Amino acid sequence: MAESEEEVDVLVQRVVKDITNAFKRNPNIDEIGLIQCPEARYNRSPIVLVENKLGVESWCVKFLLPYVHNKLLLYRQRKQWQDREVLVDITCTLLLLNPDFTTAWNVRKELLQHGVLNPEKDLYLGKLALTKYPKSPETWIHRRWVLQRLHRECCPSPSDQKEQRGQAEAWANGNGPGHGERLQRALHEELRVCADAASRYPSNYNAWSHRIWVLQHMSQGSVKVLHDELSSTRLWVSMHVSDHSGFHYRQFLLKALLGELGQAHNGSQTESLHPPLDPRPAAQSNGEAGACEAGLTDDPHADTIPQLFREEMELCTDLIESYPGHETLWCHRRHVFYLWDRWQKLSQGTGSLSPAVTDSNALLSEVRDPCDELQASRAMDIDCVQDGSKHGGYTQDTKRLKRGPVSPWPGLLSEHAFISQVLGTRSTPEQGRFARAYRKWLDSVIGQ
Amino acid sequence: MVSDQQNLLFTYYRSLNCYKGTQIKDVVIKPDAPNSLILDKHADYIAAYGSKKDDYEYTLSEYLRMSGIYWGLTVMDLMGQLDRMNQEEIIDFIKSCQHDCGGISASTGHDPHLLYTLSAVQILTLYDRVKAIDVDKVVDYVRGLQQEDGSFAGDKWGEIDTRFSFCAVATLALLGRLDAVDVGKAVEFVLSCMNFDGGFGCRPGSESHAGQIYCCTGFLSITGQLHQVNADLLGWWLCERQLPSGGLNGRPEKLPDVCYSWWVLAALKIIGRIHWIDKAKLRAFILACQDEETGGFADRPGDMVDPFHTLFGVAGLSLLGDEQIKPVNPVFCMPEDVLQRIGLHPDLLT
Repeated sequence: MAESEEEVDVLVQRVVKDITNAFKRNPNIDEIGLIQCPEARYNRSPIVLVENKLGVESWCVKFLLPYVHNKLLLYRQRKQWQDREVLVDITCTLLLLNPDFTTAWNVRKELLQHGVLNPEKDLYLGKLALTKYPKSPETWIHRRWVLQRLHRECCPSPSDQKEQRGQAEAWANGNGPGHGERLQRALHEELRVCADAASRYPSNYNAWSHRIWVLQHMSQGSVKVLHDELSSTRLWVSMHVSDHSGFHYRQFLLKALLGELGQAHNGSQTESLHPPLDPRPAAQSNGEAGACEAGLTDDPHADTIPQLFREEMELCTDLIESYPGHETLWCHRRHVFYLWDRWQKLSQGTGSLSPAVTDSNALLSEVRDPCDELQASRAMDIDCVQDGSKHGGYTQDTKRLKRGPVSPWPGLLSEHAFISQVLGTRSTPEQGRFARAYRKWLDSVIGQ
Repeated sequence: MVSDQQNLLFTYYRSLNCYKGTQIKDVVIKPDAPNSLILDKHADYIAAYGSKKDDYEYTLSEYLRMSGIYWGLTVMDLMGQLDRMNQEEIIDFIKSCQHDCGGISASTGHDPHLLYTLSAVQILTLYDRVKAIDVDKVVDYVRGLQQEDGSFAGDKWGEIDTRFSFCAVATLALLGRLDAVDVGKAVEFVLSCMNFDGGFGCRPGSESHAGQIYCCTGFLSITGQLHQVNADLLGWWLCERQLPSGGLNGRPEKLPDVCYSWWVLAALKIIGRIHWIDKAKLRAFILACQDEETGGFADRPGDMVDPFHTLFGVAGLSLLGDEQIKPVNPVFCMPEDVLQRIGLHPDLLT
């Protein structure tokens, strides 16, 4: 094992080179990792490449990291000049070992500005770092900067919003010129990177809030992308019922769809996917306020929106019943119902809802006290929909009926019936606690 | 919207799942866990921490050194032991971290950032030495990072986050220069990050998160805009962070953690709802996170200690009313006597 300073220098330079060569030998490396190995083995590089996996033997890290760390800082303090290629290599090694070293990412930003690195190559390094450190805030921050730069390279004149918007929509649909394809590739790759990081660490705030940012800044309000995301995360959240960030993403998608579907035909300024291009009126300071104005006028999507909400509420019901006692699912129910309730109230005011929706609303308004469970379940019985509280179970018939063409849209009444049904079923104490908290929330937040 | 194939898969995975009861994500506090405060050990732990400079771990965390020093010094001051730290060495270090642009970096040779600019100003305020750096340049730096929509970038590369809004106004308030930025616009941006549950995220549309809520309520306190918060709704969400162990988490179904215990507790204090949680149980949880051998606090009972969790453990106990510790200010996470000295009294709701 190397001991003297000179020997360490030689060793470390060789290891940095080995890493660079590994990437040259296999441009498809898709994961990095540390191989627990306390001592060096004779005459063998600590860099191991097996198929598409790159491993670093742990014994060398205590030499490697301080060396590349100090080398970069000497350069930063203008005490030691480095060739650009060397900088590419040492920042690569450094960031694979310590991806939250902000200054190293900043050096790479400068290399990008000078054309020494291209955005895709740099995004690839971040993607690898995220396979080992899926939360790394600085890696996500750097990606946003690179993506913005890539976006500017592809759309150089952002002054004409309207034209850009139409163009980007065409690109997002795959009809655009070369730039559009590049941007579209980057968008889909980015969504994949987010999905991968989300699977590597539960409730990964940075991965999911980055995914939201990507849609806000790169999808240009494409309704198709929003729908695709909604359906592609459906299975994922169903298998990660504790992942509040994943569910929050679906809430975001629903809200964005409300905004985009409304905006598509009346051009009104509603909650938008891209805040920088779309300054919000001062009165709408609350981020929730705008989304619901989507249904203000005659809306060809009037049926699409209720359908989306009904599907989401059904998914939520299904998961709450299958996986009792998960706070995440109950939080999801609150937000989805909140969005639906707001949209419904605003739509009702303008008479733009489809008959099915207004009918069920009329039914709801006849109930004087929404907290009266007995009355609530009676009313639902009349409608032949929710028989859970009477028969004490969730039957196949209920499921079939719920999905049938005559089923009403979700409302306060059906929510109270759902709670009663959950409380009537023998379940975990937590499930009861969450159900009662939801009832209290409906009474005090929605019911006013 | 959902393909048949997906529904099939969905049903298939459901049938594979033999999950029955709920495993609440929480910790169990063992009967032999520490239940009294061992302040002397904590002070020794912090005093010794800075001396291990060649440690590999020390290199690994150099990118946040300035904040590390703030955590260590603040907890020492709260325990009445600030004089054990080397003031002159620290002031020289801070001076060496101020850049031409006025911003301050985590360590020498690193790039300046708002996060470390605030930490540096907090340290200098503890020592009553703000004049050691070029204050006007710091103010210019902060002002230069405000965007048209009122938000703040963390540094010249432009990342936007409500954390940086807090850093900006906290830095300026400590320097008595809040008038240097457009406070109205800044408030507008932070409020645009408010969610239906009363909480706040890092950007508009982002999920509510206890750390971000601390920053945003702290920001609204400093700017005198706490009336814009729905205190009952937000208080409700914050109280739902308390788990059966007594510890608080930062989001639904996350594990309890001493640092989230601080952020949630401080936010509750700011909005005047601290009495809504079970204080005795939270105190027991925080005490159980101490390491009786090494001193210091960990995120959860039995884990490795660090200065970050040590500050938030001690600060949390202070907010809960422990009289062995100096009173802490919930907005700045600094001793109240320090803020009184500079005449800073951020608003709190009652």
